[in-house]
Amino acid sequence: MAARSSNAGKRPSKFAQYRALLTKDLRQELRTREMLTSMVVYALLVLTVYGAALSQVGDRVQVVAFAGGMLWALIVFTSLLGLNRSFAHETESGCLEGILLAPVDRAVIFLAKATSNLIFLTVVELICVPLFFVFFLSGAELASTTPMIVLPLVMGTVGVAGVGTLLSTMTIDTRGRDVLLAILLIPVIFPLLYACVSACSVAFMGVEGTFGTFWTSLAVAVAYDVIMIAAAWGLYEFAVEG
Amino acid sequence: MPSEQGGYAVEAHGLIKQFGLRRALDNLELTVPRGAFLSIFGPNGAGKTTLLRALALLSRPTRGSLSILGVNALEEPERLRPRIGLISHRSMLYGDLSAQENLEFFSSLYEGEPNRARIDELLRLVELDHRRNDAVRTYSRGMQQRLSIARSLVSDPDLILLDEPYSGLDPHAVDLTDELLGRVREQNPQRTFIMVSHDLDKGFSWMTHALIMARGQAVFAGEKAGIDREAFRELYLATVGLGVA
Repeated sequence: MAARSSNAGKRPSKFAQYRALLTKDLRQELRTREMLTSMVVYALLVLTVYGAALSQVGDRVQVVAFAGGMLWALIVFTSLLGLNRSFAHETESGCLEGILLAPVDRAVIFLAKATSNLIFLTVVELICVPLFFVFFLSGAELASTTPMIVLPLVMGTVGVAGVGTLLSTMTIDTRGRDVLLAILLIPVIFPLLYACVSACSVAFMGVEGTFGTFWTSLAVAVAYDVIMIAAAWGLYEFAVEG
Repeated sequence: MPSEQGGYAVEAHGLIKQFGLRRALDNLELTVPRGAFLSIFGPNGAGKTTLLRALALLSRPTRGSLSILGVNALEEPERLRPRIGLISHRSMLYGDLSAQENLEFFSSLYEGEPNRARIDELLRLVELDHRRNDAVRTYSRGMQQRLSIARSLVSDPDLILLDEPYSGLDPHAVDLTDELLGRVREQNPQRTFIMVSHDLDKGFSWMTHALIMARGQAVFAGEKAGIDREAFRELYLATVGLGVA
């Protein structure tokens, strides 16, 4: 054919393929807002439930003690919803097969999908975390160390996006995938969840002499991210082609 | 082993694909000359789609050897991927993206950057250039199938696999798809086509070679020139009657 590419036979760069995959995901989400809308609405509903659950707690100090755990429960449940939706477009018309037909390193597909999931989770957190503060912590006296929650939030979100991308790929063709993803994700991310709740709680409370726990928890979260994302990167080919 | 330029488009020996205890492909032997149009028939569960997925490099055979376009498909699948296109009853298109965006995306996966000249050419070929900016979900099933054909051609493949391409199409869309496939075939006589179909008449009208499968094995393989249509129909119906294990 006349326009046969001069690049025929030449392999495209992995970065160019990564950019194409990521741009496609972002463009699609900006157009439909399916994933972001459902995640934000769900997060608002969880905040409403929290409001009802804590309506009888008069002492704001007690809420601060629970805040790390509450915040992470909100993030994990919202992430589950988003991760389940993240492959919906790929499976509806067999688009994932279309991608797999191309000479794309499967690890590049993982990286692009994990990045788009990370971006969507971050956007949702940027909306929901301030709302969490307004609804539940506005009357409380916050420790000066509270802004440090950003570190475990970033590390935790990276881990959830990475591991969640692998597990949601493994469950896309299964019956009851919504439940199965939750059954797989929560036990697998438990060490990360525990470390992030611990670090956030220390930052919220700001008690002198507990900062060793903060840094230890953060180190656990970083180590978890490195090990699990490297494993997910390596295993992705089997997950996506299985 | 044939060279990459001449010889067979597909050469498979002792191909086995095992799913647990079930053998979807059972010591399958297959040779398809370059430029041929092979139609694969058989009852449900005969292993037709499993074979097509193996040829599309979407599934690795458990055992056996597979050479596609003169390249060892089990050792160098990445080298072969740009040379193989797949058209299925599923469009493999993103409904919320336009035709142009879909083709640009798939073109980027093959070439790093979208090949706009080729995309323009393909949109004209499938007669969708006037709808290039419309979301694919607004297209009829027939239009989606034409765009899917364009998608399969972005890398100008030498081997085109068709998995029930007429499934779900109305008679007019079937005619348009036929016309389009005819044009694609005329453009490059060296291009090889392998089609899985339940439609005996459609498969027979296109084929230069035929393969009838049952229980993962080749029951019949041969050139159309040596086949009597009625005898072939009888054989096909007898094979369908075999069902699956």
